[in-house]
Amino acid sequence: MFRFIFKKENQVEKMIYAYLENFRLILEHFSQALVSCIARNRCEEFDFLTDQTHKYESKADDILDEVNNLMFRKALIPDSRGDIMNLLIALDKIPNYLERALFMIRYQRLAIPEIFVDDLQDLIHTSIESCELLLKQVELFLKNETGTRSLMGTIDTNESYCDHIERRIISQLFQSELDPFFKLQFKELVVNMGDISDQADRVSKLVNILTLKRRV
Amino acid sequence: MFSLLGGVFLGWSLGANDASNIIGTAVTSKMIRFWPAAILASVFVMIGAVVSGQAGIETIRGLTRLDINQAVISSVAAAVTVTIMTLMGLPVSASQSVVGAIIGIGILNAQLNVGGLGKVALCWVGTPVGGALISVILYRLMAFVYNSLTITLFNADRLLRAGLIFSASYGAYALGANNVANVTAVFVGAGMITILAAALIGGGSIALGIMTFSRPVMETVGKKLVTLDPFSALVVSLAMAMTIHLYTMIGVPVSSSQAAIGAVLGIGIVKGVNTVSRNTLKRILLAWFFTPVVACAIALVITYLSRLRYMPI
Repeated sequence: MFRFIFKKENQVEKMIYAYLENFRLILEHFSQALVSCIARNRCEEFDFLTDQTHKYESKADDILDEVNNLMFRKALIPDSRGDIMNLLIALDKIPNYLERALFMIRYQRLAIPEIFVDDLQDLIHTSIESCELLLKQVELFLKNETGTRSLMGTIDTNESYCDHIERRIISQLFQSELDPFFKLQFKELVVNMGDISDQADRVSKLVNILTLKRRV
Repeated sequence: MFSLLGGVFLGWSLGANDASNIIGTAVTSKMIRFWPAAILASVFVMIGAVVSGQAGIETIRGLTRLDINQAVISSVAAAVTVTIMTLMGLPVSASQSVVGAIIGIGILNAQLNVGGLGKVALCWVGTPVGGALISVILYRLMAFVYNSLTITLFNADRLLRAGLIFSASYGAYALGANNVANVTAVFVGAGMITILAAALIGGGSIALGIMTFSRPVMETVGKKLVTLDPFSALVVSLAMAMTIHLYTMIGVPVSSSQAAIGAVLGIGIVKGVNTVSRNTLKRILLAWFFTPVVACAIALVITYLSRLRYMPI
């Protein structure tokens, strides 16, 4: 009813939901780019999807900057300001990992060796699932609805699973006869992929703490 | 009208000091800007003084009978006491200093309403205790309602912010209603002005203090409450306003600082943490004892000095 009084707060609310929607688009394009990369190595479609991912990642940064500006103009009470900014800054690391992975493949001209395709697909699939669950968890937190704790549990399980795949790929990589320089390049890509679920887990735990903190 | 200046000065310093208890939390935590908060508080102080200030004025003027000179002396003594106590860093109560000064003059006049004085002294003890009690009850009630609400984070934020604006306005209303007696009741007792004029002048001088000099005080004092989470800050603000309002209905002027400290203590009781240090409690006890004593002594000294006459040898 009194929404007109809280203009800046309304703007922040809209921007945050826009950020989450944009995050979904980044995940979607990243996922499609990697599918295209694995299926046809480097192709025009991959380049296009990488550019699209980059475009949405830049947009995420712009939204974050705008939210930050609104916060400096004293939108929301100080406690909520701190909580939301910490959450968005932590969340915003994930699109960076996604974009970096695509850029590694593109600019270092990496081709995924056949023996790692299954594991890498599994790693990507689980990481993306973690990110999608994280988005749901953030929305539940914003809407003050229950269920954040069980989502945190699933994201934590996914993170352990991703760590396991990451270690397996790296171990197999250094046992293989591949070019040593490629091994280092590919290891960097795998570690970066593993960072996605690690960061999702960190943000998920932060959301859980913020949820508990908001109860009086 | 010149004799009213002592009262106006007391009202001004009261407004400058006590505004931090009323709007300090909202302003120093940037939930609301200083000027809108100060204007809002000033308006509600005036409304409180005019609408509900009468009971306190009746109580204070009933403590003893004063002539115009004694009214001026008592208000000057109270203002000087407030200044001394503020310089000593003690949580000063304008009510205690005014009553202390009136007692001093009452002793000289051999005319003191002991029953009325007992009621006032009892309320002094009851202010922080009442603040703490209301704060505990209010916290439990409001937390129950707040936790059962399924509102978004943004709506919870809006609710807290609106609550703080409401509690600041209510607090200002209660402050005006309760403390206007400290400022101008002695002049009503001396027959200088009517109750309505006393409410207008008293409320106006408190509002002037809020508008002109409360900001620096707020920036140092108000930050003490900001360390509380927003919900607790809202409870403290409301509990303090309700405590002052309660004593306004009884007709006894009390200290908003002591009500606020009591309310913060109440939050500490609920959460099982130390929200007020031992040092602060020691200072409250010191202020409780010394404020009326010092005001009484100053009133006696000023009265004595005013009776000295130059006698050429």
